[in-house]
Amino acid sequence: MTIDEEMLVAYADDELDELTRARVERAVAESPALRVRLELHQNLRTRIAAHYGPVTDEPVPAHLAALLRPEKPEATVIPFPARAKSSRIPAWSGFAAVAASLAVGMVAGQMVLPGNKNVAEHRGILVARGPLADALDEQLASNQAGASIRIGISFRNTAGEFCRTYNTQALSGIACKGELGWQLPVTKSAQTRSAGKTYRQAGSADEWIMTAAAGMMRGEPLDALEEKTAREKHWQ
Amino acid sequence: MTSIFEEQMLALLPKLRRLARSLARDAADADDLCQQAVERALKARAQWQEGTRLDAWMYRIMRNLWIDETRARTRRAITFVPEEDGVNVGDDGETAAENHVAAGEIDRAMSSLPDEQREVIALVLVEGLAYREAADILDIPIGTLTSRLVRGRQALLRKLEAAA
Repeated sequence: MTIDEEMLVAYADDELDELTRARVERAVAESPALRVRLELHQNLRTRIAAHYGPVTDEPVPAHLAALLRPEKPEATVIPFPARAKSSRIPAWSGFAAVAASLAVGMVAGQMVLPGNKNVAEHRGILVARGPLADALDEQLASNQAGASIRIGISFRNTAGEFCRTYNTQALSGIACKGELGWQLPVTKSAQTRSAGKTYRQAGSADEWIMTAAAGMMRGEPLDALEEKTAREKHWQ
Repeated sequence: MTSIFEEQMLALLPKLRRLARSLARDAADADDLCQQAVERALKARAQWQEGTRLDAWMYRIMRNLWIDETRARTRRAITFVPEEDGVNVGDDGETAAENHVAAGEIDRAMSSLPDEQREVIALVLVEGLAYREAADILDIPIGTLTSRLVRGRQALLRKLEAAA
């Protein structure tokens, strides 16, 4: 059967039933041209979600919140809405331990990181290497005491690849296991670090990454058992 | 004491601001749109039934306000001056510069889309709604939604490729 653009798009948006998904996957496996087209649509989704996602991190203007809280017009900070998926997301204080001031969100290989031991650029795509690649391969979110690189949640993206959120001292983002290893489609760089041993909470980084992750995710994040199984299968 | 309605609305504000940002021309317009939507929702709160989805209801209110505003603006623009000439009237230099910096290529690509494609992209790709949910909010058949979505996605890919 022929796979039209509408079907590819519906695949990228995770709107197909299982049977049709399988058909698209077979067709894509046989046609490099279809695969390129599908990846364009998948990347577009990620990029749009990552571009607008950070708006939800911004403090809500006081005059807006005041409309709904007439008795406390000075209030400016409101809690983020509880996420339906939060029950499956481990309490990962580590992820919140990103550096305080976060600059420059970027997507898909537009940032160069000279001398970074965790990140390399490969054919225009950012990939993890060194300690970050090791942590992504081996580290379980449920057991990372003392680790300097923290893993947040693991999930499958709409392309069926395994992805994991992570943060290092300088970066946080999402890594997905693709052809080139752990590719880094969503990366946020920490420009400054707080002095001393403890990091200041930078919850906005979490929220930013989580919003991007939610846009990429198919189904629910992996639970501890699923995460372990995925590691045993080398995230394939 | 705030009611459930106010509490849920407060929790929804970050997402409403995000939707507004993907629809409106710039951040200032987006917050105006947000404010109008909240005000209208407060007036019409009797129409919202507890237990039903507040987000879908609010998205619909915001989208309808946005369409009204866009149409009114188009009429004004046709009557008086071409929109390009009118856009920066009243801006001081600083605001214009900020807007320029803030307008990334994605913002530009989004604002170049026809309204009917932009609203579909906003609900599906920005807010992450399922096709069915988005079609219900826009009151269009799902086939219309998917064809607008495909055309909108294709247009975005062309613009972003051209900008790269």
